Amino acid sequence: MQSTKSLLSYRKRNTAIAATVFLIPVFLFILIFIVYPIINSFWLSLHNWNGISSKKIFYGLENWKTLATDTVFYKSFLNNIIIVILSIAIQLPIAMALAFLLDTGGKKLNFLKMVYFLPMLMSSVAVGFLFKYTYDPQFGLISAVSTLFGGEGMVDLLGNPKVAIYAVITVICWQYIPFYMVYFLAAFSSLPEELYEASIIDGATYGQYFWKVALPCMKGTVKSAAVLSLVGSLKYFDLIYVMTQGGPNGATELMATYMYKNAFQTMQMSYGSTIASGMFLVITLISLLTLRALNGREEA
Amino acid sequence: MKKAISKALAAGMAIVMTLSIAACGSSTPAATSTSTAAASSAAPSSTAAESSAPAGEPVKLTFWHIQTTEPFPGLMEEWMKNFSAENPNYTVEVTAVQNDAFKQKLLISMSSNQSPDIFPHWSGGPMNQYADEGKIADLTTYMNENNYKDRFMTAAINQATYKDKIWAVPVENTSVAMFFYNKELFAKYNLQVPKTIKELEALCDTLKKNGIIPFSLANKTQWTGSMYYMYLADRFGGPEPFNAAAQRTGSFENEAFTQAGNKIQEWVKKDYFNKGFNGLDEDSGQSRTLLYSGKAAMTLMGSWFLSTVKGENQEFFDKNVGSFPFPAADDGKGDPNSVVGTVGDNFYSVSATSKDVAGAFKAITYLIDDKAVATRIENGRVPPVKGVKVTDPRLQDVLNAVEKAPYVQLWYDQYLPAEVAQVHKDTSQAIFGLAKTPEQVNKEMEAAAKKYFGK
Repeated sequence: MQSTKSLLSYRKRNTAIAATVFLIPVFLFILIFIVYPIINSFWLSLHNWNGISSKKIFYGLENWKTLATDTVFYKSFLNNIIIVILSIAIQLPIAMALAFLLDTGGKKLNFLKMVYFLPMLMSSVAVGFLFKYTYDPQFGLISAVSTLFGGEGMVDLLGNPKVAIYAVITVICWQYIPFYMVYFLAAFSSLPEELYEASIIDGATYGQYFWKVALPCMKGTVKSAAVLSLVGSLKYFDLIYVMTQGGPNGATELMATYMYKNAFQTMQMSYGSTIASGMFLVITLISLLTLRALNGREEA
Repeated sequence: MKKAISKALAAGMAIVMTLSIAACGSSTPAATSTSTAAASSAAPSSTAAESSAPAGEPVKLTFWHIQTTEPFPGLMEEWMKNFSAENPNYTVEVTAVQNDAFKQKLLISMSSNQSPDIFPHWSGGPMNQYADEGKIADLTTYMNENNYKDRFMTAAINQATYKDKIWAVPVENTSVAMFFYNKELFAKYNLQVPKTIKELEALCDTLKKNGIIPFSLANKTQWTGSMYYMYLADRFGGPEPFNAAAQRTGSFENEAFTQAGNKIQEWVKKDYFNKGFNGLDEDSGQSRTLLYSGKAAMTLMGSWFLSTVKGENQEFFDKNVGSFPFPAADDGKGDPNSVVGTVGDNFYSVSATSKDVAGAFKAITYLIDDKAVATRIENGRVPPVKGVKVTDPRLQDVLNAVEKAPYVQLWYDQYLPAEVAQVHKDTSQAIFGLAKTPEQVNKEMEAAAKKYFGK
């Protein structure tokens, strides 16, 4: 009895040591590249610093006060919210439909699976350039198609402050639908085959199978896809940067592009850090609230 | 539920990555930077020995440049090899950096006091800031030695001077903004090069009647539209309003800027520009495509336009490209010979932390010695040295314009400190987009300048 107990504790200790050893590198990585920068941005946000000077002037909450009254920041936050809503409303349903199609279509649709996934394989910068030319009012594809159908051509999308953001969101959706499609496809293939057979034998149509059987089984996947899309949209940067740089006249400015402009282009590193910290708080808060809302409903 | 939370945590980690961008490069011990600055300012004593044969310990210099278009990367290496050959104790590590990546790279290297010994910039506001922060070495003594500075055009030296000291060597190019036009289209509609803004407008109306877009513009890039603004402000009010406003002896709420803004909005309303210009990108050539296809007749662009077109469309370059200076305002105060642009383009400075400022300066002189000047001219550049002669008549036109100019206005966005420059770029784009009135823009500029300079 005595010996088995000590063997057990010996093994436990051994496992603990091994676990610690394995975790240390990751822990250090997170500490240096994630925890330290976050704390440092908060620290910087309390200073006045241009990014090159050897002296940082302590500034108290001045930067935060500026941020609280910064209309550009609010405008960019609203733009982020537009992206969040439209991304979830457009990307997830289309991705789900494609995934369902590919799942029920069987092997003959394997080719389509590859084609649909292509946009995801391109780098964002390449996608941005591609659509910059597509949207060109004089020579672009969109204008050409509009002339074909009797329009007068010259469709100005990226240069028009009213529609520029939607033009970019279209591209974002084009790029990210494949990601969620694969995500849902994996969920579909993890549903047991029997479930499908049983539903069909019981006389369910494809539609009934999807709405009444498959979708409820994938609730968790849909939820985490929604959260992923939410967070991704809130911190979105790349296509906006490539296609409009926040313009025209701030119409497509996002929190991340605004942060980048301040930190690196206009040499206001401390204010850039303040925006980054503000983003951190806003995104964390929204994600937590969303999660609570989603999970609360699950328990009820 | 647990799963969902761990997924959210993973997502949360992703957010964090955005933060880490802004936080890199910081905390540099103030003591080291000042001590090295002191060491380097003591360096001039070694210049006396500079003319004598190089001897002593091997020195390795680091050198960044942004000349990434052929054949310049190779030439830069070659010139540095010449330097090492004649000064055997020096080796130079040459790094070519892409323009856009360069600004961030330099900023981060400076904040950690690891900037390369030699690096380029565009003079103006940022250079003044580097000088104020003690990041670049004072080159006045070296430039005065044997009157070396007299080699350069006066406007170029003026651009490299701040607080009566010379901080950089003008090297790369003379670029001024001019109108470039399609000669074939002008001939077809029997048009003459305009001398005044009124003539220019009459010409635009004729072009419009014939279904040709007068000006091609890609203004997502912002500094492209800014060129029209700068020239109009200069033609209406001369250089004083801007200089006074930028040096805080005057205000941005000046009549000249209002007139410039109004003129631009008038032209936009008359459809003188191609549609959707605020969404087009100059860097991907969307404005030049309009010219090449004959849909647009003119563009206001820096004189690098010539070498860009030569590289992209030799046939168009040979047959079609002509240039004329920005026309005079009929009742303006500005001298119609004044130009907007840069005499030097890239200026090379020596880092204050460099161990051998004299050596680094000597290395820079090899970028602009007689051999290098000749090679630069062969490759379509106009080095900012006196008495340059070029064979291409179109390039000679540019040079003539610069030599004739009583005043060279440096691009606003390079002259102003970065923070104010960004406001200028955003607001001038808003003028083009008819989103703000010139008066509103002047107020915004004035507020930004006040905030930055504190007066």
